[in-house]
Amino acid sequence: MVDENVLRDKAKEILSSGEVRRLIGWKRGTYGYEAAPCVITDASQADDLIFDATCVQNPASFITLEEKLPVPRGQQPDTRKIAVMVKGCDSRAVVQHLVEKAYIRDDVVILGIPCRGVIDRRKAEKIFGEAPQPVLAVAEKDGVVIRVNGEEKKVSREEILADKCLRCRYPNPVISDYPLGDEVEKWADDDFSDVSEFEKESPEEKWAFWEEEFSKCIRCYACRNVCPMCYCVECIVTKLKPQWTRRSTDLSENTVYHIQRAWHLAGRCIECMECQRVCPMDIPIMTLNRKLTKDVKELFDYEPGVDAEAQPLLASYNPQDPEEYIM
Amino acid sequence: MGDYKILKEKVPDFIKALDKFEVFAPVKKGDTVRFEKIDDPSRATLDFSNTNVPPKELMFPETETLFRYRVVSTEIEPKVPSDEEKRVVLGIRPCDAMAFSIVDRLFGWDFPDPYYQKRRENSILVGLACAEPCSNCFCTSLGGGPANEEPLDAILYDLGEFYYLKTITDKSEAFVSSAGDALESAGDSERAQATELAGSAEKKIKRTIKTEGIPEKLPSLYDHEFWTQYSNRCLGCGICTFLCPTCHCFDIQDEIEAFDGRRARMWDTCMFAEYTLHASGHNPRPTRKERTRNRISHKYSYFPTKFGVIACVGCGRCINFCPVNIDIIDVLQKSKEV
Repeated sequence: MVDENVLRDKAKEILSSGEVRRLIGWKRGTYGYEAAPCVITDASQADDLIFDATCVQNPASFITLEEKLPVPRGQQPDTRKIAVMVKGCDSRAVVQHLVEKAYIRDDVVILGIPCRGVIDRRKAEKIFGEAPQPVLAVAEKDGVVIRVNGEEKKVSREEILADKCLRCRYPNPVISDYPLGDEVEKWADDDFSDVSEFEKESPEEKWAFWEEEFSKCIRCYACRNVCPMCYCVECIVTKLKPQWTRRSTDLSENTVYHIQRAWHLAGRCIECMECQRVCPMDIPIMTLNRKLTKDVKELFDYEPGVDAEAQPLLASYNPQDPEEYIM
Repeated sequence: MGDYKILKEKVPDFIKALDKFEVFAPVKKGDTVRFEKIDDPSRATLDFSNTNVPPKELMFPETETLFRYRVVSTEIEPKVPSDEEKRVVLGIRPCDAMAFSIVDRLFGWDFPDPYYQKRRENSILVGLACAEPCSNCFCTSLGGGPANEEPLDAILYDLGEFYYLKTITDKSEAFVSSAGDALESAGDSERAQATELAGSAEKKIKRTIKTEGIPEKLPSLYDHEFWTQYSNRCLGCGICTFLCPTCHCFDIQDEIEAFDGRRARMWDTCMFAEYTLHASGHNPRPTRKERTRNRISHKYSYFPTKFGVIACVGCGRCINFCPVNIDIIDVLQKSKEV
C-alpha cells in the first residue's frame, strides 16, 4: 500500500520536471464505491490524486485512449512522456502494450503501486446499499475497512473484493520506474476452477447461456473501449466499408461481436476485468476471456503481460506447439 | 379519472385480463431489469428501482425495420406499426414517462416519424410512482417528480399490500374496462396515502441542479478547456446515450441477403467517432472533447433553444452507469463556475 502524500509528491515532482505531458491516476469520485480515473497535466492538480481500494479502474487504458490531432503546420508534436499510476494488474497491461509495441518503454513513466485488492461495486451495493457520498475503503491483510454512509465497517475480502483480486497473482506491479509503497505479499492464486466448471456443461447448455447473455447486449462498446488491449485505430466492428459486423443489434450480430472481441484478446488479455465491470447489462464477459486465457496457458504455456521482452503469442512459433487442430 | 386498487397477488390476473393488448412490463434477469413483452404474467415485476434500459426502446427500438424490399423490384413493403397493435406499458417510472413528452417534440417535428408516433398512439402508459428514488435521481430539478403524471394515462402507487391505480386520461378507460375483476374500487383514503408516498419520496431526492442560465451559458464554453477534464477520461462508449431516455439519434443501414433486403434503423450515439465522420474522412468532432461537449450541450442548450425544453429528465442513468464517473450534475455545476 502507499501513502497518498508520497504518491502526490512523486506526481508533483514528475509533472514539475517537464518530462511528462500528462499523468494518469485516480481521484475521488462524486459518489459511490468507485474512484474516478483522472488525467492531470499540471503539478497543481496532483493533490486530487488518491489510491485506495476504490481505485478499480485500469489507468493503462488511458495511455492508448489519448487522442492526437494532426499538428498544425509549423508546430511540433508534444513528444514528452506519459506517466501512469498502476496496480499489479494494470501494470500487466503496460507490459503487454510494450510486447505489442503499442509504444516504446521510453514513452512511459510508470508509478507502481502495490495493491491488496479493490472493491467490486456490485458486491458492495448488495451489502451496504447505495452510497450517495464517495466511499473510502482500505484493503488490509485480513479484510477491507470501508467508510460508507457515515459509518466505518470491516468486511472480509471474499465478500467485497473484485473477483480478479480474489485470484490475484500479481499484487505488486510487474514493471515500474518508481515503486511507491512497500510490496505486499501474494495471498491468492488462480486455479481457473470457474472455467473448468463451465467447461463441464454440454454444448447445448453453454449455447443457451450465451444466447441469453448476448441477447442482452446493447452494443455500447464500453467493454471494447475500456479494454487496455483494444486500441486499434479502426476497429473491425465499426468499420463500414467493408462491413464485417452489422450495426443492428440482434442475437446473431451481438454474438459475432462478442466472439470477435474475445478472439482478438487471445493471448493478450491481462485480466483487469474492466470489460465486465463497465457492462451496463451485466454480461459475464470475463468468462469468455478466461476460457481463452486458460487455453493459451495450457496449450502454449504462455501468459501475457508479465515479460516485456516476450514475443506476442500469435507472432511467435515454437516447433513444439501443439497442432492437433491441423488436419 | 378513477381510483382503483389491485391486490399484489392479483397483479398476474390483472395482466392476464389485458389479453386484448400486448402488455409490456419490467422483467428481471439477474441484476438487470428491462421492459419486455409479457406472455407469462409471472415474469413481470413491479419491484425494481429503475430499468437498466429506459422504456424509450418500446417506441424507438434499438434496431427496427423501416421497410423490406427485393433487389430485383421497385416495390417496398413498409413496416409501419398498424393501428391494431394496441399496447399497455406497465410500470414506467415518471422520469422515463416525461422523456416521451420531450422526444415527442422531435419525432413530431419537421418530418412526423410514423414509426415512433404510431407506437406512441397505440400505447397506454401506466406509470409506477417512486417510493425510494435512487441516490443519483434529480428529476425534481427538471420539473418532474416521483409521481409526475405527464404524459401517463394512469399511475400506480405501491401502498404495501396493494397498488393504488389512478387513471389520468380517457385513453386509460379502455384498459380499465378490460381489467375486470382484478381491479377493486378505491377512494379518498388510498388517494391520501398516495399523496403522502409521493411527498415522502420527493424529500428523499438529494441531488439537484439549478438549470437557470445553463442553456445560455453552454454555447459560450464552446472552445473552453473546461471540457477536457471530463473528455480526457471519457471512454467514448455509448452507455450514457443509449441508456438515456431522451437520446433519440439513429443510424440507417441497408442490410441485404441475396435478393432480400431491409432498410433498418438502429440507435446511434454522438459519443462514437463514426457519428460525425464524413465520407471524405474529415471529422468535424475529431476528439472526445467535442463529443462530450455535444452531448451535454445538446441536452441542456441546443434542444431547449429549439424545442423549449431541456432534453434531460434527471433519471440518473448516465451517472449510475458511467464507468469513469462523468457525472452530469458535476459537469453542469462546474460549467456555471468557469
